[in-house]
Amino acid sequence: MKGKTWLFWGGLIAAAGGVLFQTSYDVQDLEEKLAGLNRKIIQEQESIQVLKAEWSYLNDPTKLEHMAQAYLTLQPTEPRQYMAMDMIPMRPADAVPPPAQALPPGKAIPGAPLPPMVRAPVTGNSQLAAARVPAAPNNTGAAGIVPVSAQVGLAKPLPMEKALERAPVVVPASLPSSGALAEPSRASRIKPAALVPGSARAPAEKSDVPAAAGKLAPNAPTARPTELASRPTPAPAPATKVAAAVPAAQQPYQPKPTDSLGLLVARLGANR
Amino acid sequence: MIGHDHGGPAGYGQPGASTGSTYVPPPAPSPFPQPSQQPSAKPRTSLAVALEQSRYRLMVTAAVVTTVFTAISVKLAMATLLAGGGEPRQHVALEVGDTTTNRADITDRNGNLLATSLVTQSLYADPKLVSRPEEAAQKLVGALPDLEYKDVLNKLSGDRRFVWLKRNLTPKQQAAVHRLGIPGVAFEREERRFYPAGPLTSHIVGFTGIDNNGLAGMEQGFNKRLTEEPGTPLQLSIDLRLQHVLKKELAATVQEFSAIGAAGIVFDVRNGEVLSMVSLPDFDPQDPTGLNPDTLFNRATLGVYEMGSTFKIFNSALAFDTGKIRVSDMFDAAHPVKIGRFTINDYHNLHRALTVAEVFQHSSNLGSVRMVQQVGVAAQKAFMTKMGFTKPTGLELPESGWPLVPNPWREVNSYTISFGHGISVSPMHTVAAAASVINGGLFHKPTLLKRQPDGEIPTEQVVSRQTSDMMRRMFRFVVTEGTGKSAEVKGYVVGGKTGTADKQKGKHYQKNSRMSSFLGAFPMNDPRYIVYVLVDEPQATAKTYGYATGGWVAAPAVGRIVKQIGPLLNVPMVDENTPEILNSTYLNAAGSTNWQQSLPPVTAPPPAKGSTVASFPTQTKPR
Repeated sequence: MKGKTWLFWGGLIAAAGGVLFQTSYDVQDLEEKLAGLNRKIIQEQESIQVLKAEWSYLNDPTKLEHMAQAYLTLQPTEPRQYMAMDMIPMRPADAVPPPAQALPPGKAIPGAPLPPMVRAPVTGNSQLAAARVPAAPNNTGAAGIVPVSAQVGLAKPLPMEKALERAPVVVPASLPSSGALAEPSRASRIKPAALVPGSARAPAEKSDVPAAAGKLAPNAPTARPTELASRPTPAPAPATKVAAAVPAAQQPYQPKPTDSLGLLVARLGANR
Repeated sequence: MIGHDHGGPAGYGQPGASTGSTYVPPPAPSPFPQPSQQPSAKPRTSLAVALEQSRYRLMVTAAVVTTVFTAISVKLAMATLLAGGGEPRQHVALEVGDTTTNRADITDRNGNLLATSLVTQSLYADPKLVSRPEEAAQKLVGALPDLEYKDVLNKLSGDRRFVWLKRNLTPKQQAAVHRLGIPGVAFEREERRFYPAGPLTSHIVGFTGIDNNGLAGMEQGFNKRLTEEPGTPLQLSIDLRLQHVLKKELAATVQEFSAIGAAGIVFDVRNGEVLSMVSLPDFDPQDPTGLNPDTLFNRATLGVYEMGSTFKIFNSALAFDTGKIRVSDMFDAAHPVKIGRFTINDYHNLHRALTVAEVFQHSSNLGSVRMVQQVGVAAQKAFMTKMGFTKPTGLELPESGWPLVPNPWREVNSYTISFGHGISVSPMHTVAAAASVINGGLFHKPTLLKRQPDGEIPTEQVVSRQTSDMMRRMFRFVVTEGTGKSAEVKGYVVGGKTGTADKQKGKHYQKNSRMSSFLGAFPMNDPRYIVYVLVDEPQATAKTYGYATGGWVAAPAVGRIVKQIGPLLNVPMVDENTPEILNSTYLNAAGSTNWQQSLPPVTAPPPAKGSTVASFPTQTKPR
């Protein structure tokens, strides 16, 4: 009897000790894991900080303007290019794309921005978007628009609106999209311009002029919605500049993470 | 042991308790003999003695053991219960929103970073641990070519225990040095302030020293706040896009007129936020010390200048606000005013009497003096004090200038102040006061911090609503028919007032060095923003027919700025000639606000000039 009691208590103690040790080791493991995670979090936070700084650095308006001048054929927007939403007449649902609102194609093209560069239809104005649908196949048909065609070809089987939704967001993957520019609406406004790769400008214009000015009747809509859509409400005004210039900013730079940090730190200029 | 005991200390003074013992100990050689007890102790046996001894020994042992164990348990209790459980340390997961840096970011009103802290690695050495300095120095110079071999060698062979070799390495450099594996050379985590916007906001944000202490601008003004709450960024009222537009146009103006500097402000008249503020020349906040110290001077807030004709805004507002003068009252502007040894004359004398509207339109000094003669010195002094011209603006920057105010404020001072000489204030003073004149008479303290949407805006009524309404018309009148025509932007109903002040060098005013400025506001039917441009010592060019006055230099710049920032600020374009707009902005030279009487000449605004540098204002002589 006595031996059994001893055995019982001894076993209990041994079991408790075992469980205790096990728990203790588990806790140690967890603590190590936690410390590792914390280290990683700190690392991530630091690199987020760096990326934010880089995003702001690359988004410096002065720099963007230089690049827009160098790589884009766009001009600064003028106040007359903006009009209030209520000044745009509503189109009857069954009508064809409004011909009266646009300039003749020949006139419109030289000054006009390229069709794909047009800002996407403003939210809620789906007619304009619909008007652009025929434009897409025509553009791909036009011979020289090589860089554009990749993107537009993707949109071919789809209505334009869906294509726009599917379009890749302009923000480079390595950069925080909405971190620096906290305004969500602005981030979404940038989106449509992503349809244009940075290299698409010069050749596209040349090839587009004869196509639109020439015999192809279906090409006319390409120009018209452009004119229309390029002057929406004043609200998205800032986006034009940002959106237009961002692809350009993104093309020449393609920075690797390490290089970009180097770029930043090199600018710190602390070592004189 | 018992048997060998010969009556130790246990026998003393302890009368034998046990009587059954047969052992008789020898008489104790004690110095204290106890003869009376000797017989009674006699029956004690050796066993009894041994028992007694062992009991004492047990008691002593028990006492020692108890003491030790008590001490241990007390220590144990203290260590476990009182010292926080004695856990090694608590591991806590980090918050996601936390930052790793010790200084908060500074952002603009849209959240774009203006200043941030980056973590970098710095290289240092402990020369005591470097075994072969020559070899180490050679290797280091190989990896970091911008180091000097001699310099590094000197540092490595010195006696100190700590020398910096290079601060803020790039990751690549760090890896290169790491690969060398030199003993005694190590890295230290450091923070470095970085300004993504660079010179664009240099005068607002300021800069920090090598130890990350603010030395200028908001970095200095909010040093405590930035270090105490590193997690929440400091949001300014500045808009980076406006800042860019303003700086671009100012730089173009400075270049065109070979000026030595310029200042510009965009101001929200409804809540006192400074949306943009530029002072040229500016500096790179990354390297503020390497450049000309003049570039650190903030002309927009620290510089105080005689503002010239822009002060006629306040003179007119004062005249209306006293109730003694109406806009159609006539004042003689033909005859020079003589006071003491001074003679005040007009830059462009019209040789006739002018209405208040015309005085403002042609920027007549004489008319202004006649107006203040009617109002009086005391009223002028009180009004200028109310406008905040006697103390710093209260802007958050440490660089806020004290105005130079005449003391005592004599009659002659009141005359010169009426057209903006004899009192020196900063551009920020002028803008904040002008905002209160046109926004319905509410003075808002200017601020560089973004106002919270639900926050209360400190407000003080300084002029009446009627005065403010009339001043709007006067502003508009200057742009439609006065000296500021080149500031007109179609659709934005710009109004404003030109200013040109001769600069004082020593005791005399210089003929050919002046400050030309334009204070513009738009839209005048319901003013929202003030755009102010001040150009320091512009030189006339052929394009401006030899004029370098505010109307020729600063007004076109304001026009170009308004044209670009209007869409950014979401100001709707309107037709200037609709009755609603004319009702609230019309004024003619006779001082009438009834636009229907004189439709054709007045309502046809000058054709929209492409507001470029090349655009020529009409042939009025602005002053």
